Amino acid sequence: MPVFKAPFNGYSVKFSPFYESRLAVATAQNFGILGNGRIHVLELAPGAPGVTESVAYDTADAVYDVCWSESHDSVLIAAIGDGSVKIYDTALPPPSNPIRSFQEHAREVQSLDYNPTRRDSFLTSSWDDTVKLWAMDRPASVRTFKEHVYCVYQAVWNPKHGDVFASASGDCTVRIWDVREPGSTMIIPGHEYEILSCDWNKYDDCILATSSVDKTVKVWDVRSYRVPLAVLNGHGYAVRKVKFSPHRRSLIASCSYDMTVCLWDYMVEDALVGRYDHHTEFAVGIDMSVLVEGLMASTGWDELVYVWQQGMDPRAS
Amino acid sequence: MATHQQTQPPSDFPAPADDNSQIPEATKPASEVQQATIAQETVKQDPPTSVFKNSEPIREDQIQNAIKFLSHPRVKGSPVIHRRSFLERKGLTKEEIDEAFRRVPDPPPSSQTTVTSQDGQQAVSTVQPQAMQPVVAAPAPLVVTPQAAFLSRFRWYHAILAVGVLAASGAGTAVFIKKSLIPRFKSWVQRIMLEEETDPLKKADAKPSLAEEAVAAGKAASAAASDVARVSQEMMITKNEERKYFEDLTHLLGVQVQEMKSLSNNIRKLEGQPNNIPKIYSADQEVYNGSVTAARKPYTNGSNVDYDTRSARSASPPAPPADSSVPPHPKSYMDIMSMIQRGEKPSNIREINDMPPNPNQPLSDPRIAPKSKPWDYGQAPQAESSNGQWWQQKNPRSTDFGYETTTAARFTANQNETSTVEPAAFQRQRSWVPPQPPPVAMAEAAEAIRRPKPRAKIDQEAAASDDQSGVSDELQKITKFSESGGDGSERIQITEIEEETEQQHISPEGN
Repeated sequence: MPVFKAPFNGYSVKFSPFYESRLAVATAQNFGILGNGRIHVLELAPGAPGVTESVAYDTADAVYDVCWSESHDSVLIAAIGDGSVKIYDTALPPPSNPIRSFQEHAREVQSLDYNPTRRDSFLTSSWDDTVKLWAMDRPASVRTFKEHVYCVYQAVWNPKHGDVFASASGDCTVRIWDVREPGSTMIIPGHEYEILSCDWNKYDDCILATSSVDKTVKVWDVRSYRVPLAVLNGHGYAVRKVKFSPHRRSLIASCSYDMTVCLWDYMVEDALVGRYDHHTEFAVGIDMSVLVEGLMASTGWDELVYVWQQGMDPRAS
Repeated sequence: MATHQQTQPPSDFPAPADDNSQIPEATKPASEVQQATIAQETVKQDPPTSVFKNSEPIREDQIQNAIKFLSHPRVKGSPVIHRRSFLERKGLTKEEIDEAFRRVPDPPPSSQTTVTSQDGQQAVSTVQPQAMQPVVAAPAPLVVTPQAAFLSRFRWYHAILAVGVLAASGAGTAVFIKKSLIPRFKSWVQRIMLEEETDPLKKADAKPSLAEEAVAAGKAASAAASDVARVSQEMMITKNEERKYFEDLTHLLGVQVQEMKSLSNNIRKLEGQPNNIPKIYSADQEVYNGSVTAARKPYTNGSNVDYDTRSARSASPPAPPADSSVPPHPKSYMDIMSMIQRGEKPSNIREINDMPPNPNQPLSDPRIAPKSKPWDYGQAPQAESSNGQWWQQKNPRSTDFGYETTTAARFTANQNETSTVEPAAFQRQRSWVPPQPPPVAMAEAAEAIRRPKPRAKIDQEAAASDDQSGVSDELQKITKFSESGGDGSERIQITEIEEETEQQHISPEGN
């Protein structure tokens, strides 16, 4: 399985929605505490190395997240530790990049998500307790959603409803928002500790998974959100990211500070269906390809990016 | 406010019926069921806010609890945002919180009358421990671990203090005895001398008693000598005891020193090992969180590499729960954290100008049209090549894990095969394998036919649970979910059929 060794600690990995063999990686120097950052665009290839870097962009500050545009195949967006949001166009020569830089957040920008249904806007969430909505063609944010009282670690669009998104915050709540409404429409006090990540079920638009510092992943139905549908135990430390599979209704992937990536089927009694312990430091980034069923990628503070097919050993050569 | 006509997403949802927006919330579940059974829409489109909004009625008991919480004097002193956040974490909806805030400034009549004031106080006091604990615990869940660390240190102090106290008391009593014994001895000798003087004075003419006097004096001398011997013996004993105390103390200290030496040796050994294994550091909660309190200097334009302590950078990874351990950080992470706290900057940081050279640079034209997602029914993702690139094939090869074999077996459904062999994992859920349905000509119709069933199931469950939500009985909810878990397995069957047919008509269409 291909492995890519980055010079900096990995933070996030995302497959391109246009090209099966392309993915972007967000990395940060010195574990993201203080230092530069770099965005890598990788290409999977048959043959020996398996993965090669096609272009890399350096940033003054750490890159915490990266996401691909759903409207332009060559455009990707980066969330930077200095509070800026930068847009890169891989079809242009590297010296022309970045093509935009928006400095609005007061603190580190922790996550990005591009709207998969409308394809014209994206969200950023930040440690300044806000979520901002942006459009590609506007020089400033369209809206700011300020209700959380602590860092917002992730904001994710609903895959079916283009105006609805969820945000996960360190104030231990998940909020559901509708961009047409003035404020949040639902508050789910999901965990007793900080909620680090959330993701919608791609096949059931009312089901949401959250992951927390309390080492669990919980699955919620927003129609009856007082009690979770499932509580998935198995990680040894905080669960950093959770992701619903784009191909299987009840399959969830999660990565954790216990250095493992786990696969869960929350509808089954014994939910843990796979565990990969290929990382040697915190596993902090994970993605499942929308174009290729079963293809997964993960990255961690050990500066490695693994791409593998479910059911195979990521470290197999 | 929302005008549904304007919000038509690009994917082809038929426009929702406008009368949906007029339907009161109580009947929304019913309307959803109606819509689902009428196969007009491929996706549940009725105002999406109806699902993503709270449709529960306002719970008066929760509002009462909130009012008690908000009326507490200590809570009144806290910022409003913290009060809201606390109530949200307790599960109150926005409407309930707003209502409670509205009611609190009006003093509730029960607290004014003296008869019920006691009840009010009792209620407040019961709310208080609950309220204060989370409020105190929430901003500082980490206080407990410093306390735990403190407690463990406390034992050392305890031991040292005890030994010290014992030694001091032993020495003190010895000194005291010395000081009190000597004057007593002196006074006793003086008394005897006086007695001797008075006796000879009285018996002035008792010359033959000279011998007796001598004998008496000798006896007294011997008694005194024996007393002196006894006292000196006691002093020796106390001295020995003191020496024992001090020996014990030094022994204990020596043991501690040895332990610390062995610890440092171990650490050095671990450092010497190659770097594959993550380093374990002596978990130091204060170092980890000390920088949370450090201030962050503001940025100046262009000089982003200015040294500033990222106060909340230590919050990533975010603060762990108090009862579990901190995940072991790599040694170099702790090095960098301590370097920053000392005020140094890591040397590998470069000055980089990452501003856009042309902020008005237009985006290049897209070369590929946006692809539809696998969860948009009826529109299969384009599997561009079935060349057999390794990342496109689902490999059934089993790996080391027991899980992996089941996972691999489960995902054995190559695009070109129609798998009818059920892997062992599914045997748990069903023993009967449905026959492959014939390929479907019209995907949309197939979806329309299939979708209502699971939808209706979900909606019925949702409607049932909505009816009972007013009861707010945890037990009922749990049993409900176990029931729905039972239904869930049927859903799996249905979805499996769906996915298998999807895959079937992916293969003829995908080119």
